[in-house]
Amino acid sequence: MNRKEFLSDCSRMGFAGVALSLFPWLESCTEKAQKEVSGERARIGIIGTGSRGLFHVQHLLQMPNVDVVALCDNYRPHLEDAAQYYPQAKLYDDYRRLLEDRNVQGVIITTPLYLHARMTIDALRAGKRVFCEKSMAFTLDEALDVYNCRKEVGGVLLIGQQRLFDPKYIKAMQMIHEGVIGDVVGVRNYWYRNNNWRREVPSPELERHINWRLYSEYSRGLMTELACHQLQNGSWAMGMLPEQVMGSGHLVHWTNEDERDVYDTVSAIFTYPNGVNMTFESIISNKHFGMGEQILGTKGTIDLVTAMHYTDEAAPKGSGMDQLIAQIESGIMSNSVFAGTSWAAETATLAPGMPIMPNVKVVSGESSVGAEADGSKELLEAFIHAVITGKQPEKVLEESYYATQFALLADMAMHENRILRLDDKYKVPYEPLRSK
Amino acid sequence: MALEFRYSDKNPLHPISCGAFRAMHTRIEILLTGLKESVGRSLVERIEHEMKIMERRFNCHDERSPLAAINLRAAREAVEVDDDMFMALELCEAFRRTTCGAFDVATDTALQGQVSYVLDPLRHTVRFAREGVRLDMGGFAKGYALEKIRQMALQEGVATALMNFGNSSVAALGHHPYGEWWSVGVEHTVQRGQLAHEVHLKDSAMSVSGRSTDGRYHIVNPATGGTVAAEELILVEGRSALITEVLSTALYAAPRAQRSAIMSHYEGYSATEIYCRAGGGVERREIGK
Repeated sequence: MNRKEFLSDCSRMGFAGVALSLFPWLESCTEKAQKEVSGERARIGIIGTGSRGLFHVQHLLQMPNVDVVALCDNYRPHLEDAAQYYPQAKLYDDYRRLLEDRNVQGVIITTPLYLHARMTIDALRAGKRVFCEKSMAFTLDEALDVYNCRKEVGGVLLIGQQRLFDPKYIKAMQMIHEGVIGDVVGVRNYWYRNNNWRREVPSPELERHINWRLYSEYSRGLMTELACHQLQNGSWAMGMLPEQVMGSGHLVHWTNEDERDVYDTVSAIFTYPNGVNMTFESIISNKHFGMGEQILGTKGTIDLVTAMHYTDEAAPKGSGMDQLIAQIESGIMSNSVFAGTSWAAETATLAPGMPIMPNVKVVSGESSVGAEADGSKELLEAFIHAVITGKQPEKVLEESYYATQFALLADMAMHENRILRLDDKYKVPYEPLRSK
Repeated sequence: MALEFRYSDKNPLHPISCGAFRAMHTRIEILLTGLKESVGRSLVERIEHEMKIMERRFNCHDERSPLAAINLRAAREAVEVDDDMFMALELCEAFRRTTCGAFDVATDTALQGQVSYVLDPLRHTVRFAREGVRLDMGGFAKGYALEKIRQMALQEGVATALMNFGNSSVAALGHHPYGEWWSVGVEHTVQRGQLAHEVHLKDSAMSVSGRSTDGRYHIVNPATGGTVAAEELILVEGRSALITEVLSTALYAAPRAQRSAIMSHYEGYSATEIYCRAGGGVERREIGK
C-alpha cells in the first residue's frame, strides 16, 4: 500500500479527517504534509545491514525522495549485500565514523538490541534524526536514557513499532474508542512459531554475532523481539498503562540446538488500573495458532490481526441483510450467511465476523524479518518526512517507550518470579492515544 | 409486522434502500442500490402492497380469496378466474408434468398421480376432476412473488438488488457492488452459524428446501399426502426464482432415484443434495451429474 492508497482507504472508511485528531503521528501521511516536503530529499545512513536492515532497504528503494548515502555494518558480508543496492553509498564498519559523516541527515538503526540505546544516543547527540528498531533499549535505565536524550537534544526519534502505522490497527482502534465493542474487558496477544529461531552461521565464532537474539547477553528474547509489538495494543485501546505485570518463562524445547539462554516459552499477564488483564503468550515449538491480537469488549471483539469485528449481541433478524448493508457502506464484499431452509423466528442466524475494512492484508507473524503491509513502510515514510522537516511526530515515542519498558519489566518478572510494577523513576509523561 | 425501511447513503457511490416486512407467513427482505431515498421507499411500499395482494390471492385458508372460491366450487362447476390466476395455474400444471408429479398444487390423497383439475384456456376456467381436490399454492407463491419483485425493481431501473424470501429463496439482480456476484451462504443445519455451502448469484436465484429451521418436516409429498422426511437439503440455482423454488420443493419431495429425471427437463438449472453431518461435515452431490 502506498501513501495515496493509505489515504484513499482512510477516506473511504470515513476516518481521514478524524484520524489526524485521534492519531496525530499520521500527519506526515497527509497531502498537505507531502506538499510541504515536495522536491526535498532525505540523506540516510543505515547502521546494521542484516536481514531487517535489508527489509527496510526494499521499502527505501520505492521512495523517490530518499538517498541512502552511507551504510555501516561490522560484518562484511551483510555490508556488501546492502552495498549492491547503493553502490554510491559510503561504507563504514564503525557506526561512530558514519555519525561523523556530515552528509548523513538521518540514520536507521537495525542492530542487535543491546546496541540500540548507545547507538541512538550517539546519533541524537551527533545531530542525526533517528529511526531505531524496537525494542528501544536493552534495560529499563537505558530506555529512560534514550528518552531523556531525545528530550534534551530535541531531535527526531522514531522506534520501529509499525502497528501504529498499520491502517487496520488504526481503523480498529478508532472503532474501539468509539465504543463499538463496548467497554474493553480483556486484551489477548499471542505469537506462536515452530522453528528454532536460528540463522545459519558460516563459522562458529560468529554464533553470538549472528544469533544474538538467542543470548541474554544481547537480547531479552521473545519479550523484546515479539511481545514489544503487541504490548501497545492494550494501552492504545484503553488509553492507560499497565499497573503490574507477572509472568512465567522457560526454555522448554530448543535446548539441544546451541547454548541459548533466552526463553522459548513465555506467558505474561499485564494488569491495568481498572483490573483489566492483557495477556501475552509465545511458544516457538508449536505454530498452530500463529499470531493473534484481540481486544475483548462487553459488546464484541475486534481481532486486530485479521481486522475482523465479532459482535456478542444477539444477531437481529435479517442479519444477513445487515451485513450486506455494512459491506456496501464500507466498500467491501464478504460472505453473507442467511440462506437456509424456511425461516423461523426463533432461529435467527448467528452473526459471523465482519471485516472492518477492505483489502486487509493479514500478516502471519511467521517471518522473523518482517512482512509486507504491516505498517513498516508507512512508518519509514513518516521517518523520512521527519528527517526532512525535523519535526518529531506526536505521541508515538511515548507509546514505543512504554512498550519497551513493559516488555523488559515482564522479562524481569519472569526471571525473578515476582509481580512487578514500573518504578516511578521510569515514568515519563504519557498522553493516551485514545480520544473520545 | 410493519414495514421496516432503512436508507443509507454512507457510501455515496451506492446508496442503499432496504425494506423488510412479513408476508406469506415469512419475512421478505429487499436490498436495492442506486436509488434516491424517496424512490426506494416508494418502491418498497409498492412491493409490500403487491405482496399483500398476492398473499390474499393465493391463500387457500382465506375464504375471501379467489383460491378459496375455486376450492369451494370447482368440484361442482367450472370456475372462471382472472388472467393472473389462470396463468399461475397453467404454470403449476406445467411444473406438475415436468416434475413427474413431484410438484403438485392439488392435494388429493384419494387418487394419487391422476390429473386433479382441468384448465379451459378459452374460457379461463378451472374445474376439479372430482370431489376432494383442493389447491394449495403456497409452494408456488413464494417463487412467483420473488419474480414479481424482481420485475418491479427492474421497471424502476434498479440494476443491483438482492431479494430474500424467508431465507429459503434468494434472487439477485446484477452483482454485489464490490464483487462479481452476490455471495450467499447456506447455513449448516446441525452446526448453526456455520457455512454448509456457498452460492454465487448474478442475475439469478437460488432456493433451498429441507426441514424448516425449527426442525419440522413441512414439505408435502403429493404422491402420499404426507410430509417428506428427508434429512438432506436440496439447493437449486438458476435464472428464475420461480423455477428454483418449484424445483427445490419438487426434488425434495421426489424419490432420490427420480431426481435426475426431473432435472433433465430444466436446462440452465443446477441442483445439489447437501447432507449436513452432526460433526459439522458436509457432503454434496450434484443431481443429474
